[in-house]
Amino acid sequence: MRTRIFALTLSIVICVTARAELKWDQTMIELHPAAGDKEAIGHFKYQNTGSNPVRFKSVHTSCGCTAAQSQKEQVPPGEKGEITATFKIGDRTGTQVKTVTVETDDPAKATMVLTLKAVIPQELEINPTFVFWGQGEAPKPKTIVVRAGKDFQVKHLKVASSNPEFQTKVEQAGNGQFKIEVQPRETSRMTGATLTIQSEDSPKMFYAAARVTNAPAIQ
Amino acid sequence: MAQNTQVKFPWRVVDLIVGAIFIYAGAIKVLDPVLFANDIDNYKILPWTIGVGLAFYLPWLEMFCGLALIVRRLYFGGLSILIALVAVFLVATIAAKVRGLDITCGCFGHVSQNWNFPAHLALDLAILGALLALSFRVVSGDRLQNAV
Amino acid sequence: MKSSLVRQALILAALAFVPALGEAIYFRDKISWESPVAASEMVTVDRSRAWGDNAIWVDARPEEEFDRDHVPNALLLNEDRWNDLLPSFLEKWSPKKKVVVYCSSQSCNASREVARRLRGEAQLKNVFVLQGGWEEWLKTRK
Repeated sequence: MRTRIFALTLSIVICVTARAELKWDQTMIELHPAAGDKEAIGHFKYQNTGSNPVRFKSVHTSCGCTAAQSQKEQVPPGEKGEITATFKIGDRTGTQVKTVTVETDDPAKATMVLTLKAVIPQELEINPTFVFWGQGEAPKPKTIVVRAGKDFQVKHLKVASSNPEFQTKVEQAGNGQFKIEVQPRETSRMTGATLTIQSEDSPKMFYAAARVTNAPAIQ
Repeated sequence: MAQNTQVKFPWRVVDLIVGAIFIYAGAIKVLDPVLFANDIDNYKILPWTIGVGLAFYLPWLEMFCGLALIVRRLYFGGLSILIALVAVFLVATIAAKVRGLDITCGCFGHVSQNWNFPAHLALDLAILGALLALSFRVVSGDRLQNAV
Repeated sequence: MKSSLVRQALILAALAFVPALGEAIYFRDKISWESPVAASEMVTVDRSRAWGDNAIWVDARPEEEFDRDHVPNALLLNEDRWNDLLPSFLEKWSPKKKVVVYCSSQSCNASREVARRLRGEAQLKNVFVLQGGWEEWLKTRK
C-alpha cells in the first residue's frame, strides 16, 4: 500500500513537471494581411530540443478555410522545422481566429494548439448591407451609411445599381462618412438590385443589396 | 515511535501535494473567471448564468479545500468536497467527449489546453485516486487531529 | 463522524462564498450574467422542421460539403464567397421567413458567424442557428 501511494505521488509529480521535447518559437501568430490579399500565411517554427525523434501524427485545423502542413513527418533531435498554416480569407471581415491542432508522439506534450489570428483590413464599412420594401409599401428612399475603415482615406464614393429600377444618390456626410440613398421606382412587384460600392481611388468592390419582397416590410 | 513517523510520512506528502495542486488549480481560475465561465459553458450542461456563478465560486472552494488538506483543519469536509468536485468533473468531461464537444478545460483551465485527452483523464483519475486513498485512511481509523 | 463531515463541508462552502462574492462584484463590468447567445437564437431540428415552408435553410459549410449533400432546398451561404452567394439568398428571403443556419456540428463556428453577419450586416430578424448542425439533422432524416 505504501509503495502504491509513492508511485501515485511520483506519477502526479512527473505529470505536472514533464517537459516537452518540441520547443515552439511562437504558438500564437497575429497576421495583418493587406487589403485585397487572398491568403494570410503563418509560419509556426519549432525545434526538437530533446534526445528522441518526434513524429507528427496529425495536423488539423479548426475550419475548412485554413490549411496546415508540416514540412517533415519526423523531426530528429536538434532539427528545426515549421508548420505552415494558410488561411484563405475569402469574403471574411474583422478579426478571425483559427487554430491548428498538432498531434505528435512526444509523450510530454502530445497535443499542441497553434493559434492564427488574422486582422482583416476593411476599407469600407457598410451599414446595413441590405435594404428592402414590402410589395405595396410606399417607395420612400432608405439610407445606407458607408464609413471609411480605420487607416483608410476615402475621398469619393462610386455607387452603381445593377437594376435601373433602383436609383441611388450619394451624399458626403463628412469625416470619411457617406450616405447612400436608395429608392425603388415602384413596389408593385418583387425585384432586386445589387449595389456596387467603390472608393474612387481603389479597385476593390463592396456590395449592398436592395429588394422589393413579397410581404409587408417590418424594418 | 520511529516506525510510526515512517508510516505517517508518505500520507503527509500526499496531503501536501494534492492540497497544493488544488490551490494552484483554483488560483489559475480565480485570475480569469471570464475564461473559466466560457470553459464551463463549453460543456453545454448548465445554463450560462449558473456557469458564471460557478466560475466565481468553484475556484475559491477548491483553494479553501486544498488549504484544509495542508493545514489539517476541516480536513474530512475538505476532502469530501474535493472528491465530489473531481468525480462530477470527470463525468462531465467524459460526457462532453462522447458528445463530440470542443472543450479545452481541464483541472488547470486554459493552461492545460495543449494536453491531449488521455493525459488529462490520467491526471484527473490519479488525483481522484489520491483523494480516495486519503479518505480511506481516515475512515479506517487512523487518529486524525482535528481542532475544529 | 458524518455530522462533523457535513459541518466541516458547510463551513468551507460558506468560507468560499465570501471571496467569490467579492470577485463577482469586482468583475461585474467584465462579464454579463445573461447568456451571450440568447437561448432564442438556437433552434432544435424538430422545431425548425415544424416551421415547414416558413423556414429558409442556410448551409454555412464549404462548397464541396454542400455539393455532396445538404438539407433539401437549403441555400449555400458561407464566408468564402459571401459576396457572390448573398444575392441568391436574399432573392429567396422574405420578412416572414425564419432563417435556419447550419454547419457540420454543434462545435463548428461557421453557422454562428454567418448568422451574426445576417443579423448584423443585413439586419435580418428571425435568424437562428441549428442546434447540433448537419450531424443532428442527419439523425432525424426520414
